[in-house]
Amino acid sequence: MNCGIVIFAHNNRQIDYVKLSMISALLAKKNLDKPVSLITDPSTADWMKESKVFEKAAKIFDKIIITQRPESGNNRLYRDGKDKIAAPFNNTNRDNVWYLTPYERTLLIDSDYIILSDVLNEYWNVDSSFLISNTYKDILGDHRIGYLDKNVSETGVKLLWATTIMFTKNQESKVLFDLVDYIKENYKQFSDTYRFNPSMFRNDIAFSIANHILYGWEDSNDYTLPSVLSSPDIDFLYDVKEKLKFIMLANDGDSYITCSIQNKDLHIMNKQSLLRNYDKIMEQL
Amino acid sequence: MQEQFKNALEFSNYRQTLSVQRKTLKEKNEARLTFGHNGGIFKIDRSLLNFVELLINKGRHENVVLLDINDNPILIENLQEFSGDIFDRYFTATNEYYEEYQKIKKSRSVEKLIEA
Repeated sequence: MNCGIVIFAHNNRQIDYVKLSMISALLAKKNLDKPVSLITDPSTADWMKESKVFEKAAKIFDKIIITQRPESGNNRLYRDGKDKIAAPFNNTNRDNVWYLTPYERTLLIDSDYIILSDVLNEYWNVDSSFLISNTYKDILGDHRIGYLDKNVSETGVKLLWATTIMFTKNQESKVLFDLVDYIKENYKQFSDTYRFNPSMFRNDIAFSIANHILYGWEDSNDYTLPSVLSSPDIDFLYDVKEKLKFIMLANDGDSYITCSIQNKDLHIMNKQSLLRNYDKIMEQL
Repeated sequence: MQEQFKNALEFSNYRQTLSVQRKTLKEKNEARLTFGHNGGIFKIDRSLLNFVELLINKGRHENVVLLDINDNPILIENLQEFSGDIFDRYFTATNEYYEEYQKIKKSRSVEKLIEA
């Protein structure tokens, strides 16, 4: 089966998602030894050409797929430790991956998901058309994990993490992705039923509800991808040492706790701090 | 007194980092012990290793069905080969775990823990 990885990148004025994707893609290629394709939009592609990263990107990515830029009705706060900025979050076309992927079996990852191990290679041949992670883990431990990191809302429907998704392009997975699209189009209506805050579209919620519906309004007990070890955006990526050792400063209220991550996949939500370390990471790849 | 308090805070920082590093190592080891085979996913633990060894000792070498982490029946065509793979993975993962654990155990400051 033709397997590969797909990353979405739609830049906004604050965050260079293409650069994040380049880091993410090189690490994924290095550790999983699979081709990586980029899905982006015409304006982001134009910027890539202007800023002269297009050639580099063309070498990194197996394919650069240009699609329509999603509507940016989503504004979100991007935290950078204690600082924050508001910017459009162009994440509403993730469900199109089913149609856009060039692979039969696809691993879709967020551009801020850093693959530092080969653990995900165990899942390419798992007998399931759709795999998603159902567990969020915090680098500091459970005390920073809230109820809404585990559940869609007080209804208790389990929250799935769309940071990593693996699927086979077939009719079974198409039903799910089409349902995610339907939920997105009727997000407010679903928020009334599932009682979540609809102010910002979240893929995690849309995929969770779609999965919940397709499993007969119950939580799935099917295979899942490994838990998503995450560093929330109140933390910093402080440094990247030799052999890709990521030094994190994790916010623990009034103070920061230093910790290091190596050979373990990591979701770094503080995108600005990841970008500040772009050169240091690229030097090692 | 101020010095004692400062020392206590430094020690507290060290203990917090140590705790996080230990937890990360444990999770890393658990992830390494996940093993995909013939459409199923297995958790390599003592129970699986023992059971596979028992089956081989009982003369079951081919076309054995094992239940995976989801209790789905998975056909193992060559149990000897499967056994070799999971034992290899188990020892590689636990040896790395041991080495990394020793490094952080010997580190007596936040700086050394991070360097370990």
